[in-house]
Amino acid sequence: MTPGPLLLTAIVALAAAIVAGLRWPRAWLGLNLLASAAAFGAALSPLLGGPAWEWFGTVTVGGETPHLRVDAVSGIFLVLIAVVGAAGAGYSREYWSDGLHPASAPRSRGWWSGLVLCMVLVTTVSNGLHFLIAWEAFAVCGYFLITLERKRPAARAAGWLYLVASHAGTLGLFAFFSLLAARTGSWDLGPMRENADLAPLVWLVLFGFGVKAGVFGLHIWLPSAHANAPSHVSAIMSGVAIKMGIFGIVRFSGWLPTPTAAGWLVTGLGATGALLGIAFAFAQDDLKRLLAYCSVENIGIILMGVGGAMLAVSQGDAGWGRLALAGALLHVWNHGAFKTLLFLGAGSVLHGTGTRRMSRLGGLWRVMPWTAGFFLLGALAVAGLPPLNGFVSEWLVYLGFFDAVTAKGTSAWVAMPAVLMLALAGALALASFAKAGGMIFLGAPRTPAAARAHECGRWMRGPMLGLAAICLLIGLVPVLFWPMVARAVGAWHPAWNTMEAPAPIATLGSVQAALAGVIVVVAAGLWWRTRANGLRRALTWDCGYATPTARMQYSSGSFAGIGSGWFSLVLRPVRHWRRPRGVLPAGAFRLDRVPDVVLARVLTPMSDLILRCSTAVRRLQHGRLQDYILYVVAGLAVMAVLVSMGGVL
Amino acid sequence: MNNYLNLLIGLAMGLNLIALGSSRLPSLIRAVSAQGIVLGLMPLLLEHHPDWRVLVVVVATVAGKGFVIPWLLRRAMRAATIERELNPLVGFVPSLLLGAGGTIAAVAFARLLPLLPEHAGSLLVPGALASVLTGFILLIGRVKAISQVCGYLILENGIYLFGLLLIRSTPLLVEAGVLLDLTVGVFVIGIIVDRIQRAFDSLDTRKLTVLRE
Repeated sequence: MTPGPLLLTAIVALAAAIVAGLRWPRAWLGLNLLASAAAFGAALSPLLGGPAWEWFGTVTVGGETPHLRVDAVSGIFLVLIAVVGAAGAGYSREYWSDGLHPASAPRSRGWWSGLVLCMVLVTTVSNGLHFLIAWEAFAVCGYFLITLERKRPAARAAGWLYLVASHAGTLGLFAFFSLLAARTGSWDLGPMRENADLAPLVWLVLFGFGVKAGVFGLHIWLPSAHANAPSHVSAIMSGVAIKMGIFGIVRFSGWLPTPTAAGWLVTGLGATGALLGIAFAFAQDDLKRLLAYCSVENIGIILMGVGGAMLAVSQGDAGWGRLALAGALLHVWNHGAFKTLLFLGAGSVLHGTGTRRMSRLGGLWRVMPWTAGFFLLGALAVAGLPPLNGFVSEWLVYLGFFDAVTAKGTSAWVAMPAVLMLALAGALALASFAKAGGMIFLGAPRTPAAARAHECGRWMRGPMLGLAAICLLIGLVPVLFWPMVARAVGAWHPAWNTMEAPAPIATLGSVQAALAGVIVVVAAGLWWRTRANGLRRALTWDCGYATPTARMQYSSGSFAGIGSGWFSLVLRPVRHWRRPRGVLPAGAFRLDRVPDVVLARVLTPMSDLILRCSTAVRRLQHGRLQDYILYVVAGLAVMAVLVSMGGVL
Repeated sequence: MNNYLNLLIGLAMGLNLIALGSSRLPSLIRAVSAQGIVLGLMPLLLEHHPDWRVLVVVVATVAGKGFVIPWLLRRAMRAATIERELNPLVGFVPSLLLGAGGTIAAVAFARLLPLLPEHAGSLLVPGALASVLTGFILLIGRVKAISQVCGYLILENGIYLFGLLLIRSTPLLVEAGVLLDLTVGVFVIGIIVDRIQRAFDSLDTRKLTVLRE
């Protein structure tokens, strides 16, 4: 079946779901699942080797002929939208139900379908003007989803920041598309690599889409938006919405000629972003902020791959770029799957305990076994450990960059440090999620709220189960997914259009499967042994305290203290503390906070300065008519002087 | 011919200074009305073969600038019961000095302009500039709304003088249109003056700053 009718079904179903969501939750869910299935089907056709599908409308919209296109690159992102869209819709049925949130649940459903619809359009529309319209509508839907709990000032502030940042990016895109239209003479989009004039426009692409993607440095909106949005919204924002930025970068770096410097910059930005993003994540106490910074890291990994590919293209189509790009595109899927899983898990924790601060949780393993299991699986995947999917895509990026290093070209200069930074980021990711998992699920409950936690229901567990299965499947049988990614790479750069899988992929699959087998066998053995011998329960070493309490456990700050100390130059942690004094100290505390350094140290002072200047200028606007006329006369006098000078000179 | 014209323009420039120096509103209005009559007569001197359209315009201009608008202003003045401009932002002597300086500057500046030879000898351009400057000084230096209307009128008179430069190429109808606009403008300002008076119990435009937000 061609993607056309399927795509039409998806769009119509989503449009209907926007209306249905206001009144009929069941119909809304059905329509969303239908739309996801249809979009999935539409995307599979080019991914499974079908030709790219194109359609031109007959009626003009805004003076332009509608042009839709589904090729392998948009297919990759459509699949992601379909999967996460369905998972989140199912999850929100219980998590953001009418019973729990009577005021905002209908709004949540409407905007959700709107967001998914706009993202489907963003990935398929192939006309600059229509792309901008879809992009803007997508940003607005995101804003209303983030501010669903509009009574909370933090949510409103986060939404505002998101909207401002998003529009700064959109401004870049407006410049990009209008310059593109001016230089090519048409708003229609398509491959235009031969037109060398267009190369400088890539910088606008990188800025405009980089803001949405949350590239480190442009990520200021991301932590607060992801932390304050409801969890199913954070999941789709982090899993899919920021990938739309990646989509833009991938799409237009493939269609436009790219300057060599862009490849270097994207690779460098990706590698630094990966390292710094995860360093910030490590230092967080808020679970969802941790996950948000971790998204910045993963965007960095994806950008490393894309930048590597751009670099390789500009250096004579070196083969290593193909591996790097394949790794990046597969990581788009992988990150979408495990980050959605983690955010849904975080939502489940929030739902069960009412807090997202890790130092108030603990010991949830016992009451929330399902959530704990899913979260830990997601944590292993995001840390890039075999045999899960995160390892596969990161491995492909590694392979690409290893090849670049051994090829001994100029690109080795960026590939070598990038690989080192990626390795360090991986280690920190493992530490971050060891911290998150340990703080939340292990130990004893630190607060009564954590002690009263309850497991989530079927509708929340189901989507998590599905996503966990995807993580396992991509991890164990990567060969199955290679052809799709390879087709997308081929669509990005026709010179790399070959199906041949690199040898390590096949080996990797069997190694991963073997490893999984070993893990299962060892686990089963351990389970059998404890079953046979019974468990011996005893106190752990208690430092000689007579009455240890749950509050004496490691806090998230103490867990991350040393590690974030290494990065204190960048992280700039804010510390408040009072040392214990004397033999019998009365009270002592220590509070570590890591505010976003780009926002707190760069943007806020800058905007303060602008605000001060504008306040000074605003004094001119005082409402005294006589002075306004004086301004006019002064302006005229200056002009007269200029004219007379011109006359003299 | 040119001498008569220059005489009239000189008269208008003198009226500018009277307008700047008068603290009583009736004398200010009288100066404006006299200037309007003087300007209204000028097309008769400029047109070598006046036909009936020129006559109509002259009559309309003199009637409008010289009688109708001043009458409206006097009515507004009586309605608001104010006679004097108290506390001007720029005092009367400084205004006079500024106006005199402006007139001299206008004459000096006009020499720098690349004018047509037939205009070079006349006072048209300096007179126009001086009137515009006078209008601006009144607008900036006075606080009562009626004085400001007078400022606008003198400003417009300056623009009218500029327009006379183009009397050969611009139809007089355009001038008539400008005059009509101005009359409507004065009507509107008359109404606004009335409203300001009722709302603020004063015609002090400085009090309008509370409306700025």
